[in-house]
Amino acid sequence: MADSSVDVVEGCRLPVLRKNQENEDEWPLAEILSVKEIPGRKLYYVHYIDFNKRLDEWVTPDRLDMKKLQFPKKEAKTPTKNGLPGSRPSSPESEVVRVVGAVSHYYSVGNGTARRPMPNQPGRKRKQPPNCGGTDEDSQDSSDGIPSTPRMTGSLVSDRSHDDIVTRMKNIDCIELGRHRLKPWYFSPYPQELTTLPILYLCEFCLKYLKSLKCLQRHLTKCNLRHPPGNEIYRKGTISFFEIDGRKNKTYSQNLCLLAKCFLDHKTLYYDTDPFLFYVMTEYDAKGFHIVGYFSKEKESTEDYNVACILTLPPYQRRGYGKLLIEFSYELSKVEGKTGTPEKPLSDLGLLSYRSYWSQTILEILMDLKPDNGERPQITINDISEITSVKKEDVISTLQYLNLINYYKGQYILTLSEDIVEGHERAMQKRHLRIDSKCLHFTPKDWSKRGKW
Amino acid sequence: MSKLSFRARALDAAKPLPIYRNKDLPDLNDCVSINRAVPQMPTGMEKEEESEHHLQRAISAQSVFREKKENMVIPVPEAESNITYYDRLYKGELRIPKQLFHIQPLGLDNEQPDYDMDSEDEILLNRLNRKMEIKPIQFETMVDRLEKASTNQMVTITEAKLLLNEDDYLLKAVYDYWVRKRKNCRGPSLIPLIKLEKRDGSTNNDAYVAFRRRTEKMQTRKNRKNDEASYEKMLKLRREFSRTVTILEMIKRREKSKRELLHLTLEVVEKRYQMGDFTGEVLSEVTAPLAEKPVYTVPITVTNGNRHNHKAEIKIKSGGLPYHGYHHVSVKDEDPFDFVRPKKKYTRREPLCRPGRPAKRQHIVNKADIKQYDFHSSGEEDYPLSPSSEPDEENDPDGTFAFRRKAGCHYLAPCLDQTSGLLWDHPELAGLDALRHRQSLTALSVPQRCVGLARRRVGRGGRVLLDRASSDLDGVLKQLDSGVFSSSFPKGLSDHQVPTQNHRTMPGSASSLTDLLSNIQALRWRFFRPRSTQGDDSGEGRTGRPSMDNRLSGGLFVHTKNSGSGGITEEQYQVHQQALAQMQKQQLAQLQLKTAGSTDCIISKTLDSAGAHFAASAVISAPGQVNNENKPDNTSVNGVVQPLVESLPPHSTSTSQGGTGLDRSGRTPSSGGPLLPASHSTTPQSLPNHRGHGSAVSPAHHHHNARPSPSSLKLATMATSSLDRVPKVTPAISSMARDNHEPERLALNGISETTVPMEVT
Repeated sequence: MADSSVDVVEGCRLPVLRKNQENEDEWPLAEILSVKEIPGRKLYYVHYIDFNKRLDEWVTPDRLDMKKLQFPKKEAKTPTKNGLPGSRPSSPESEVVRVVGAVSHYYSVGNGTARRPMPNQPGRKRKQPPNCGGTDEDSQDSSDGIPSTPRMTGSLVSDRSHDDIVTRMKNIDCIELGRHRLKPWYFSPYPQELTTLPILYLCEFCLKYLKSLKCLQRHLTKCNLRHPPGNEIYRKGTISFFEIDGRKNKTYSQNLCLLAKCFLDHKTLYYDTDPFLFYVMTEYDAKGFHIVGYFSKEKESTEDYNVACILTLPPYQRRGYGKLLIEFSYELSKVEGKTGTPEKPLSDLGLLSYRSYWSQTILEILMDLKPDNGERPQITINDISEITSVKKEDVISTLQYLNLINYYKGQYILTLSEDIVEGHERAMQKRHLRIDSKCLHFTPKDWSKRGKW
Repeated sequence: MSKLSFRARALDAAKPLPIYRNKDLPDLNDCVSINRAVPQMPTGMEKEEESEHHLQRAISAQSVFREKKENMVIPVPEAESNITYYDRLYKGELRIPKQLFHIQPLGLDNEQPDYDMDSEDEILLNRLNRKMEIKPIQFETMVDRLEKASTNQMVTITEAKLLLNEDDYLLKAVYDYWVRKRKNCRGPSLIPLIKLEKRDGSTNNDAYVAFRRRTEKMQTRKNRKNDEASYEKMLKLRREFSRTVTILEMIKRREKSKRELLHLTLEVVEKRYQMGDFTGEVLSEVTAPLAEKPVYTVPITVTNGNRHNHKAEIKIKSGGLPYHGYHHVSVKDEDPFDFVRPKKKYTRREPLCRPGRPAKRQHIVNKADIKQYDFHSSGEEDYPLSPSSEPDEENDPDGTFAFRRKAGCHYLAPCLDQTSGLLWDHPELAGLDALRHRQSLTALSVPQRCVGLARRRVGRGGRVLLDRASSDLDGVLKQLDSGVFSSSFPKGLSDHQVPTQNHRTMPGSASSLTDLLSNIQALRWRFFRPRSTQGDDSGEGRTGRPSMDNRLSGGLFVHTKNSGSGGITEEQYQVHQQALAQMQKQQLAQLQLKTAGSTDCIISKTLDSAGAHFAASAVISAPGQVNNENKPDNTSVNGVVQPLVESLPPHSTSTSQGGTGLDRSGRTPSSGGPLLPASHSTTPQSLPNHRGHGSAVSPAHHHHNARPSPSSLKLATMATSSLDRVPKVTPAISSMARDNHEPERLALNGISETTVPMEVT
């Protein structure tokens, strides 16, 4: 085993043992992203192919199925069209290559430089949309050779060309935040010296990062915050929303972003927080207003985005808070008199949450429509959009997703099937947390008139 | 029929969609496949992630079960929420306030040290605490300061001492500890901080650098490289265009105002012509109430005679004298100067009329007037003639010799020696008195007139300028004018001017002509008049005058020695004297008639005639300079020979007067009104005679047009005519003299002789 493990390098693919949700063993194919040696043994950072990155983890060699090891394809074999070898991601062979002797063929040992680019090249390949995988351009990268800086609007990265092995790997083991210990899902640019700590401590209220419990204790003697440092614009029951200006309260905004980045793959922290507002949802108890989740929002969006990043912290997930955040974001849009849509790309969880919210919101409207003096109730997509502040495209996609749109006798109709209706009613019964627009104290500001953000 | 045989119309978001329950549509299944006609909306996810196993599983589970099953959720790394020491960590409780929180973000940083002590520090602290008391916060503050002062380099112990201001032992202990700790520290600082970008761009791809500053960059479309440059160019273009538009609009406005001004002026002139207001009386009457603003006497430049500013305001040399404020005598404390203001505008423009040319225009009065506006339809506003009176200028009428006040200095009135015999020892004098100390009564030779209070200066090129001041004596002086023409002074007196009088004794009395005359006679008032130069007069003039001059000016008087060269005949002189005497008489007579009550019209008359005088004098005295140009060729003796010489007042007038002038004076002894016709007649006469003359006159015409005061015109013409003769008289003096001098011009010579430097402090 020991000798074979020597051969396992970054870029290799092989089945790796993991437990599924039913606690069963499975051996999904995984890619070795990194190898590190700790006293006594080696650890491999693996990414399970077709699994979300958040499940990537360090594994011990005994979880690797060395028999099915496949090496990264030799670089020279895939000359790029633009004649720049190395810029073209090399992709592993799709079939299993199990012959160890093939190393020289598939893996250019002698290539001293290969080691460095190798690991991230598969990653880059992976980042590219499948349909343009064969093309050589790094999507939107300008071709002048100067590494372009990301666009300055928005908060999410759709262009992953700068993604490298560093950001592909989680760098924080564990974050302690108030009562919770969180396992980060993704990379976050906390100060590098803190990434080696077993636990990163965060002040629950100001989100300052501290290296030890002692420091946190000391910090808490000085930090008297018991709620996010912004204006409370909504409170109903124990749920409150605080609005924080990314320009006026940089420290908190940055701390919040660092934390959020741990759970948002596409979030970028490349630029400062100035053009954003942060809406932090908290739950009150005797200790204070505990952060549950948040969403950020561009002060001025050129693309009708009403949400930039949105996150329910893991301890609060799957309890309806996400939907509450989404609902709140649309309430703000309603006050602004605009329709909005979340910034793209959506994450898997984001897509599910939004779809769920859209579905419930639209179905709520459709089912509430009463026949109008004997006529069949009818509604336009624009009407739905206006009522809900959900952007028209999202309404259509939801109607499609729910399979409500049908073409019948020369016109489009909306059909509500039994199971849709039942499913909706069941879901709504479980949806206790709702935003009460009467509790919202929010005046939209015209940021365009306020100078730069 | 095939379900696919027709194409579904595009989904119209504005079109109402009827809502059916499936049970209402048993035949719906027939249509289901059509659903594809609606284009599939993108999910908004990245494609590769969309295909992820758990998501697909969840989606399919959702679509099958309409509800997520527990085991179909997307798995995420676990989180624990069982921190047992939480309550110990976060002490105290928070009662929820009724009000929503509203917090000022600025209040957040309350000077707490950012550094948080760790357990290692605690050990040190405990050790230190054995010797002294040091609180954690104190320690943290120290480290915090050390850290923040060490952005680039670690602070030295000396710097630390300054920085911390602590007990030496403590400082040393903490500093050494800090240095040691910092060396072992893996991070750049003991206070963990987000990595900052470096400006050189080397950190552009550093994953640990976050929150870079946004450089102001234009948001242009992607993939269009030239966009930014062209966008900038467009911006610039736009800025410049809008600037152009602004400028053009302002020009338009200005030109409109000019046109309006012109029309109004025209109208005024026409109205005045219709009502026969040739002296400007009516005008001044009407405008008097309007002129609330400080009034100034605008200085008169006696130039080469190209132009007569009969407005008595400004004489501007063709050369464009640097007229700055000091030429203006502004007399703020005196009311009766209203008439000045309306005239100002004319004079302002005047400089633009090229002095050389006006001959063409001389006849067309109104047109010329208009023309002068056309002349400088743009841009000349910067003409330095702004009549604004700044405080300095009021006190500073002396031109290049002027005494200029410095801000912040306190100046006392000069104490003149007794030679002046004047009132300098009475600094308390105000108003008219004060005026008289600076100005003297002055008369011009050519338009025989007393121009009132004035003082003489030498302008550029030796031109003699008269700065006039207004006073409430003007009315009286006006009478003096006519008197001068009609009557001759008693011999002793008339010969020279120079009457001085001191006014302080009789502030009120000055208002009457008699008083004035008596003052003048008593030499209590200085009165500068041109000496009648004719004939033997020179001798007499000399005798009389020098003494006077000496008295007045403390010997500054420069006497023209060459007076003899002027061929002034004795007869001329006699005649002139007679005229003077007559004038005097007339004055006296008028004095009887006119009372102080009628000042208004008197003033106005005075003004005009006075203006004319000035213009005339200007013509007389200055021409020398411009000689070589086709300007009125006359070399003025004054100008050339003795720059300091004052242009001389009327009764010494030149021969021209001797000819025409005297006649006229005889004829028109009375008020300005009667003079007018004569003046008109004169103009044509005199003009044709001499080329130079004509040109000299024409400027006067402009003024005239603008401000049709015939009397002044006449005076001007007289002046010019006399000027024409001047060169002849003074060939010896001025080499520049024109060729075609004529004998009669001798008069000027006389003038030059008679000129008395008007010495005014």
